[in-house]
Formats: sequence, C-alpha cells, structure tokens
Amino acid sequence: MESLHIVATEETPEIHLDAENNIFSISGRSLPEDSVSFYEPVFKWLQEFSEVAENDIEFEFFMEYYNTSSAKQLAKVFLMLEKMSDKVFVQIVWKYKKSDPDMMSSGMRFSKLLSLEFELREVDC
Amino acid sequence: MEQEKIEQQINELTLFEGLQREDLVYVYRGLFSQVITDSIIALTENNLDSTGESTKLKKRVFSIMVECLQNITRHQFIDGREDLTADQSGMFVICNKDKSYQMTSGNVVNKDAIPHLTELLEKVNSLDKDALKQYYKQVLEDGSISSKGGAGLGLIEMARKSGNKLFYTFEEIDEFISYFYMNTSISQQLDEAPIDFIDIQDVVALHKFVLQKNIMLIFNGGLNQKSLMDILSLINEQAFGRLERKKKMYNVMVEMLQNVVKHGVKCDANRPGGNPVIFYIAQNGDEFSLNAGNYIDNASIGKITSKINHLNSLNEEDLDDYYTKCLLNFDIDNSKEAGLGLVDLRIKSGHPIEYNIKEVNKDMSFILMQVTI
Repeated sequence: MESLHIVATEETPEIHLDAENNIFSISGRSLPEDSVSFYEPVFKWLQEFSEVAENDIEFEFFMEYYNTSSAKQLAKVFLMLEKMSDKVFVQIVWKYKKSDPDMMSSGMRFSKLLSLEFELREVDC
Repeated sequence: MEQEKIEQQINELTLFEGLQREDLVYVYRGLFSQVITDSIIALTENNLDSTGESTKLKKRVFSIMVECLQNITRHQFIDGREDLTADQSGMFVICNKDKSYQMTSGNVVNKDAIPHLTELLEKVNSLDKDALKQYYKQVLEDGSISSKGGAGLGLIEMARKSGNKLFYTFEEIDEFISYFYMNTSISQQLDEAPIDFIDIQDVVALHKFVLQKNIMLIFNGGLNQKSLMDILSLINEQAFGRLERKKKMYNVMVEMLQNVVKHGVKCDANRPGGNPVIFYIAQNGDEFSLNAGNYIDNASIGKITSKINHLNSLNEEDLDDYYTKCLLNFDIDNSKEAGLGLVDLRIKSGHPIEYNIKEVNKDMSFILMQVTI
C-alpha cells in the first residue's frame, strides 16, 4: 500500500503513514483554516489501510499545538483506530514535552474516551 | 460599579467601531526586535496585497516602514537607562486614512539630542525633490555617520520615498528625556499633490489611549489565515511571563481570530480583503485581555449569546464534560465549524467570556468579545 507523507508547515503537522515500514505518526502544529479538508487524505488512507491491515501497529502522536477544529479531526482519527483495533492490535503513543502539561491533559482526555491501548509518553526537551 | 463597567465597554465599542471605518490600523507598542519588525512588515504586506495596492506603492510603503522601524529599533533605549517604563517603550502605527498610508514612529530621545534632530528634520522638510537628492549624495559622501549608524539618511529617504514632509513633535517625559513622534505619509495615488498637513496630535492621543488601557497591540483590518499567522508570530516573540501563559495566549488568539475569519461578516460587501476585525491585547495587572470585535449577522446573535451565557454559567467540571460532548458531536463538523471554539476559550481563560453587542443596522451588529488570561 502506498505511503502518505505530508510535510509540516507553519500551520499544519507532519503526517507520516507508511504501512510497509510500520510508521504511523502525526506531529507538530495543526491550525489550518480548513482542517476538514486537510485531514481528508488521512481518513482516506486509514480507511483503505484498515481493510488490509494484518499486523500490530503503533500510532504516534506528538503534537505541539492544535486548534479546536483540528481536535475534532484528531478525534475522528482515534475513532477510526479504535474500530481498527477490533482487527489488529493498536497501540497509541501520545508524546508530549515535559514542559507542556496541557498537551498531557489533552492526551489524557482522548485516552479516557477511547478503548485503546494508550500510552502517555513524556519527552525530555 | 457594574454600570460604570458597562458604560466603559460601550465607550470602547464606539471607539473601535470608529477605528473600524478605516481600512487598516495597526499599532504595536513594546520591545522592537528583528522578528517583530519582520512580522509587522509581513502583516502590512498581506493587507496591502489583499486590498490590491500597486506594486510601486507597496514598495514605497515598505521602504518607509523599514526606515521607521529601524529608527525605533535603534533608538528605543536611552544610553545609561537600562529599563524603560511602559510609557517609554517604542511604538509604531500604520493606518490607512484619507486615501493615504500614514506611518508614525514613536521613541524616547535625550533632550540634548532634540536641537540637532529638529535641525535635521527642518532641513529635510525645507528641500524639494531635487534638492533632497543632492543632499542625500552630499551626506553619503561626507560619511558623517553617527555612532548609532544614522546620519539622517533614513530621514531623507523617508521624505524622498513619500514625497511628503516629515511631521513630528516631542512630548516631555521628564527632565532628561522626551518622546519623539514622527509621521511619514504617502498618498495611495502616487501622483497626487503632496499631503499638506498631518495632525500628529491624533497619534499622540492614540498613544495616550493605548498607555491608559495598557494596550500593546491593536490590529484593525481585513483578516485572513495569513495575517492571523503573522499576528501569531508577533505574539511568540513577547514575554508574557510564564511559558504556560504564552501558550494559552497563542491558543486563545487562534480560536478568537479563526472565529472571525469563519463567522465574521463584512459591513460593506464590496470591501476587498478578509473579514474586518479589531483585535487588541491589553495588560491589566497580572492578566492580559484579548479582545476581538467584528460584524455578525443579526440572525446569529441569539445562538451566540445563549451559548456564551451557558458556558459562563458552567463550572470547571461541567465545562470539561461539555468539551468532550462537543468533541464527539460529529453532527457539527465542517470546514466552518467544529463547535468547540468558545468552550475552549472559556476553559483556557478560566474567566467568563465578556461580550458586548451593538446593532449597526437591521442585518448586522458589531460584537466585541473579551477573553482574560
């Protein structure tokens, strides 16, 4: 399956989805004007992937900042992953900087809403 | 007391509504650094682009701006005085009115320097176009550059690029220092007759107003995602005390301004550029207030006010539940709306969201929203 790689900009995160190399990550800042369109390719990719997924996956999030409309798109990503976890084992790693307790709380909020393996991982930087 | 507060808010509303009639008003007061001047220039550039100004005019506006901003950066401190008080920090104002772009720099000066500075300004103002060119060459050849790197070349350049006189005034601060205001204006129609008179006292009054309210930034103009990013980069440079607060300010600004980009309306549909907004940041003691004013359709007032009132009535725990409920409500999920912005503002602030609405006509109103951090 073809990988999806979107390079980060000042207002959008880096997206790296690569089934072959087992890389699943969203990282950086997310505050586009139209987050629905921005995340559309991600949903499409995940939908296709969920139909062929066979192995365990570890999905990493390392957000620096996201706006509320992106929060909703992230929620949709999580719900897709939750559904996928019926089929394959899905481990979520929510990274946050030690200096960013708000991002930890945000991860905590998602973890409570989901029945997924959810690790909150503090990063020293 | 309560009455007084409301009165005051209405006064501010009127003032900002007044500013709103101008296409662009941008005021920055504080520390000037390279990043800050870059973001001021980028923000203005975006505004001039979106209102469709000619390349020639834009170039002139920028070169004047650059000189103006360099002047402030170079002279924002007084030798021997390490920390300036708030009323002594530099200020830059650009506004678009009477078919011209008017730029004003404000900075402290040693009183000793005033006679020389006045002489330089009067000299520049006394020369016509050709004489200015000659004088420019002469100063350049003389090489009499001051220790701060200025020989009045900047002033000559500003006069040449604008085709207008430099209007200026000094306001005494104390026994030793004064505040120096200098205005350069340029007609939007470049071949128009020179601008005879600029009332620099307008800027002095504006300065007094921002000082009294402790305002560090006013942006009034058409807002789009690009200008939003420029305003944000300006904020990133500021010291707001704790890092946590800076992050909150950033979050709140994104939500407030994207709210205007998505839901604001134009008072005059023919006006070019993004949705008009007045955004300003003021410091009140240990807190900062972020204020955004924009036009909205009268039809949506009921929905907005009941939502804000509801959010204001909730406690921390209820707000958290409400946020989660909205997060998972995919009935509201489109490019315009996620339904989370206001609740996020309310949570980040920890204070009620203040607002004030004034009817403009039967279709639209002006709403001013205030979030305290």
